[in-house]
Amino acid sequence: MKGKVFVFGDNVDTDVIAPGGYLHLGMDQLLVHTMEALDPEFHKTVRHGDIIVAGENFGSGSSREQAPMVLREAGISFIAAKSFARIFFRNSFNVGLPLALIPDISAIGNGHAVEHSLENGYILDIVSGKKVVIEVPKGPLLDILNSGGMINFVRQELEKIRGKSGSG
Amino acid sequence: MASQTMAEKILSKSAGKEVHSGEYVWASPDLIYIHDILGPLTYDVYRQMNKGKGLYTGKFVIVHDHIFPPKDIQSAENVQQMKSFSAELEAEFIKGGEGIEHTLLVERGIIKPGQLILGGDSHTVTSGSVGAMGIGMGSTDIAATLALGRNWFMVPDTMKFVLSGEYPEFVTSKDIILNILGKIGVNGANYRTMEFHSGDGMKLSLDDRLSLSNMTVEAGAKAGICVPSDEIFQHYADIGEEVERILPDSDAKYFSQLSLNVGDLEPQVAMPYSPDNVVGVSEVKGIELDQVYIGNCANGTLSDLREAAEILKGNQVHRRVSLIVVPATRNIYKKALDEGLIKILLDASATIAPSTCGACAGLHMGVLGKGEVALSNTNRNYRGRMGHPGSRVYLSGTYVCATSAIEGKISDPREFA
Ligand code: SF4
Repeated sequence: MKGKVFVFGDNVDTDVIAPGGYLHLGMDQLLVHTMEALDPEFHKTVRHGDIIVAGENFGSGSSREQAPMVLREAGISFIAAKSFARIFFRNSFNVGLPLALIPDISAIGNGHAVEHSLENGYILDIVSGKKVVIEVPKGPLLDILNSGGMINFVRQELEKIRGKSGSG
Repeated sequence: MASQTMAEKILSKSAGKEVHSGEYVWASPDLIYIHDILGPLTYDVYRQMNKGKGLYTGKFVIVHDHIFPPKDIQSAENVQQMKSFSAELEAEFIKGGEGIEHTLLVERGIIKPGQLILGGDSHTVTSGSVGAMGIGMGSTDIAATLALGRNWFMVPDTMKFVLSGEYPEFVTSKDIILNILGKIGVNGANYRTMEFHSGDGMKLSLDDRLSLSNMTVEAGAKAGICVPSDEIFQHYADIGEEVERILPDSDAKYFSQLSLNVGDLEPQVAMPYSPDNVVGVSEVKGIELDQVYIGNCANGTLSDLREAAEILKGNQVHRRVSLIVVPATRNIYKKALDEGLIKILLDASATIAPSTCGACAGLHMGVLGKGEVALSNTNRNYRGRMGHPGSRVYLSGTYVCATSAIEGKISDPREFA
């Protein structure tokens, strides 16, 4: 897939991703204000298929799930960061926004066109020609992602459980 | 049985088998609680997963605290939704004005030592104050747990913090946690549990503990647990609640250990725009303020109101500064009235706001404009946390807040005559 990359530093927090003052006004308002404290043009320039690359502790702060949701709604395909904040990490997979770990972000230039593949685990910076390997999580998280997020996962699990108790 | 930390013991109990750090387990919490602004999303997601009651059999509480009184139609509708949700799932609904959830549920004994607790708010870690393992999760995780009756957990590594010494004048547990944040950073405890021990006869009151546990999430911690003292267990016995006596094993394995003598501390201040951007108050003296805020789930306690009144008694808040004081619960408000603290604060020209999250999260009743500067005894000062992205928030303990409100600029209570 092709798109462009937004590069951010360390500790991008949920007040920046989904500012508290707009939380109760719904996704449309949040979309206009997401990331504005770091990049006022973000909501105008982001396109479907773009990705975010960031440093340590992406998504620190509150438990608001609107944070990964608003980025997913904005069209972000996935986020590759050196590390993620714990709650953001869970929330992202739950709402179907994939995350990957990237050991070194120095080869990726902000605003550059990129080709990326989660399945094959890489980001190619088309401008610089550099290719970076990313690590995609496995285990229960992948089950949830493969179900299309936590909602479907729970539905399937409940069906299994209720199916069983119904027949036995 | 191999020795265990608090987190390992609590998760073992809730998973029904002995577990150790690094393992993934399915476990069922004792209590789940949510609030009025992240709750509606939980309700939405829940309805997509399941109709009516799910498989969860523990206690479920919904607290209206974040936007109270509702400031617009949308926030009023959020509360209506939360009422429907609690009716549907037979949850306990606590109406607005009773208090801020994390403090209120501890005060009412609904949060108990040794419990595994999930909350739809990151400051659910505050339940660690009484020796519970409180974990904040997003709306979908909460909905999934209500539907399935369980969720997956990684058993975290634990960082041990041993506190000792005597508080110097005007130093409180807020300064301890700010100092620790400055040392380990906002990523310093990511995925881990912070476990607090008090050694050498040092005593931590319940209010001290609320303040400590509350800000562990600012270091990214999954939980922040204070090892409960006999006084904490006695408190539950006094209110007639039976609790489990879960304590860490003396030879439990820790990821790291840090000792801190509070006697070495001066009052601490976190500068914009991060709660780990911490210096001693002497380094930031003189910064002019527009607003001072004393309140929130960690530091709107009776101890904080006493500290504020001690400083403000017979003084006036600076003419340029608004001082907003928020008792964390109605009960704290009443006790402060009985003790005459509220009168002292009003005489000093403070404004007392109802027990609500309000300005702490930039929601209402004290939102900052562009370029405004605030000092607050709350827990976050990220860009835009209390209002405009161009406003700036400094964090400190209550003594520094109260002194600075009088002086109109960040001031050191030790130099206040
Ligand atoms: S008082 Fe502030 S930190 Fe505490 S729950 Fe409310 S918004 Fe969150």
